[in-house]
Amino acid sequence: MDVRLERLSKSFGTNLVLKSLDLTFPERKFVTLLGPSGCGKTTLLRLIAGLERASEGQIFFGERRVDHLTPGDRNIAMVFQSYALYPTMDVAANIGYGLKVRGIPRPERTEKVGVVARVLEIAHLLARKPRALSGGQRQRVALGRAMARKPDIFLMDEPLSNLDAKLRATMRGELKRFHLDLETTSIYVTHDQLEAMTMSDLVAVMDQGIVQQYATPEEVYDRPANLFVAGFIGSPPMNFAEVELATEADAPVLRLAGRTIPAPAQFDLTAAPNRLVLGIRPQDVRIAAAGDPRAIPGTVWMTELIGSERLIEVEIAPKLRITAEVKSEIRAELNAPAAVAFDAAKLHLFDPQTGRALPRRA
Amino acid sequence: MTAKEVAGRIALYALLAAVTFLVCFPLIWAFFTSMKPKDEIFLWPPTLWPETWTLANYRALLEGKDAYFQAGAASGTAVPPSAFFLDWFINSVIVTIGTTIISTVVSTLAAYSLTRFRFPGQRSVPYLALIGYMVPSIIFVFPMFLVMVELRLTDTLLSLILGYVCITLPFCMWLMWAFFRGVPIEIEEAALVDGASRLRVFWEIVLPTAWPGIVAAAIFTLIVSWNDYLFGRVFMNSMENLPLTVGVMHFFDGTHVDWGLMMASSVLMTVPMALLFMALQRHLVAGFGAGAVKG
Repeated sequence: MDVRLERLSKSFGTNLVLKSLDLTFPERKFVTLLGPSGCGKTTLLRLIAGLERASEGQIFFGERRVDHLTPGDRNIAMVFQSYALYPTMDVAANIGYGLKVRGIPRPERTEKVGVVARVLEIAHLLARKPRALSGGQRQRVALGRAMARKPDIFLMDEPLSNLDAKLRATMRGELKRFHLDLETTSIYVTHDQLEAMTMSDLVAVMDQGIVQQYATPEEVYDRPANLFVAGFIGSPPMNFAEVELATEADAPVLRLAGRTIPAPAQFDLTAAPNRLVLGIRPQDVRIAAAGDPRAIPGTVWMTELIGSERLIEVEIAPKLRITAEVKSEIRAELNAPAAVAFDAAKLHLFDPQTGRALPRRA
Repeated sequence: MTAKEVAGRIALYALLAAVTFLVCFPLIWAFFTSMKPKDEIFLWPPTLWPETWTLANYRALLEGKDAYFQAGAASGTAVPPSAFFLDWFINSVIVTIGTTIISTVVSTLAAYSLTRFRFPGQRSVPYLALIGYMVPSIIFVFPMFLVMVELRLTDTLLSLILGYVCITLPFCMWLMWAFFRGVPIEIEEAALVDGASRLRVFWEIVLPTAWPGIVAAAIFTLIVSWNDYLFGRVFMNSMENLPLTVGVMHFFDGTHVDWGLMMASSVLMTVPMALLFMALQRHLVAGFGAGAVKG
């Protein structure tokens, strides 16, 4: 079942947290709402769940309008950040509570709980209380509770953020697996771009109550729609530098730190302003020999080893530093001369006035 | 364990034993005194262990009324106070249970609404209530007596119940408020998503979670209303309507004190509370602890 939001707004007092959203979550897709804290992603999820009332706009599940319905009448399931297990009930009762509320008789309930518990490998924990479970086990019980009812929509609010890094990686894979098995439309809230990129069919990058870009993870990464998305997605973050657009020998060029580089051909520069913001991901920056004529010279400002990669920050102009992510074998002395080079095809260009990416050639 | 540690342990336990004895001594003394015949009570030097054991004091309290109506009433002598003991006991039980039920139910609902719904004064009410509890009840008792006169409720058990609810409710509400603040709202939202109605969420999810707090509030109310003297003294006047605390003072009639009856009454007043405490001790510690930490 798809989920459709039409001109959805939400304000708390005078604080407008969601600004007239139009968004469709396609049937059976795994969609992530990604953004920094305070961007409105959790509020949006709570509106879909019915835990908050929209100030304006409509929500549809398929053809059914649901924004006036209580959470219980929407046939959704939700996994909370804190898991929100019922502390006085054992695991079996936790998983079966939604069935009990819906009046499913006990034998049928026990059977369904058993099936879910076996799938999640928590069958041996059914008689335990939540406080006697580890974080990962609680997480599974929370998932089990959501799965037991066969919901139309599966909502998850940062479900992995309370787990340690190793368990988080495991659960990421499992969640994705469950989604594929259940074939339920899933909406997942996170501030962790790694989760968003690895698990989602579609990512809605949100900031200040607005969806900044809604696309596949690849698209969001390779073709960020604006400066916010470009800076938010990717780790370490994208390098930005102000450049001047000029023409040399009838060809458009960019002037960066006193050097001239050819303008990337993938952008349509006909309506572009003179001053632009250039973006380049650290992974797309090479460290070149100091004398390389196509490279931009500078001095090494800082290096950091991050496992198999090394980050090298090169200062190419006062206060303008470019970070390169290179193999760890490549070494650089602090304050030594170094040069950075990049492939024009990997460059991003933005209009500094609007923050939007320049249009790409078809 | 080294010799020094053993010595430390022994000293510690000796100290604990001494303190325990000090605290328990009045109770032990009351119990033994209640089992002595009248002449032995005033024996000098006093005996701790009764030389003669007797249940006469208890019999006087528990069978006093029957005895009077069988023998004394016909001869026209005044009714002895001990004849009213069972009435007082029942009065105290009714008032205590009534107060506890009203106070616990009202404070639980009030505290829940204070933590879960938004309305003006939501933040200040719990603190104001606590300030209300800090004002000594002697300041309330006379204005409340005048109100009871207006309501024509003086000398009724209902007036006592209302009075005790007034003095216990603020603290119970504050206690439950602190408790509910520690109950994460997500578990209620999870239950709403699971399809439960608000009332069902409250009944099946919130109340069981808040149970230790409710027990703590109930015990607090029990203690206050069972032990109060002031309100009973001011609000009540007929012998048969008195609560235990006020009633037993009639064993002390200005010229002499019937210590045997007094001590037997004390024992009978203490036993129900002591049993209750033993049964609920675990909840009580959890309740006050949780409230304190999370409040």
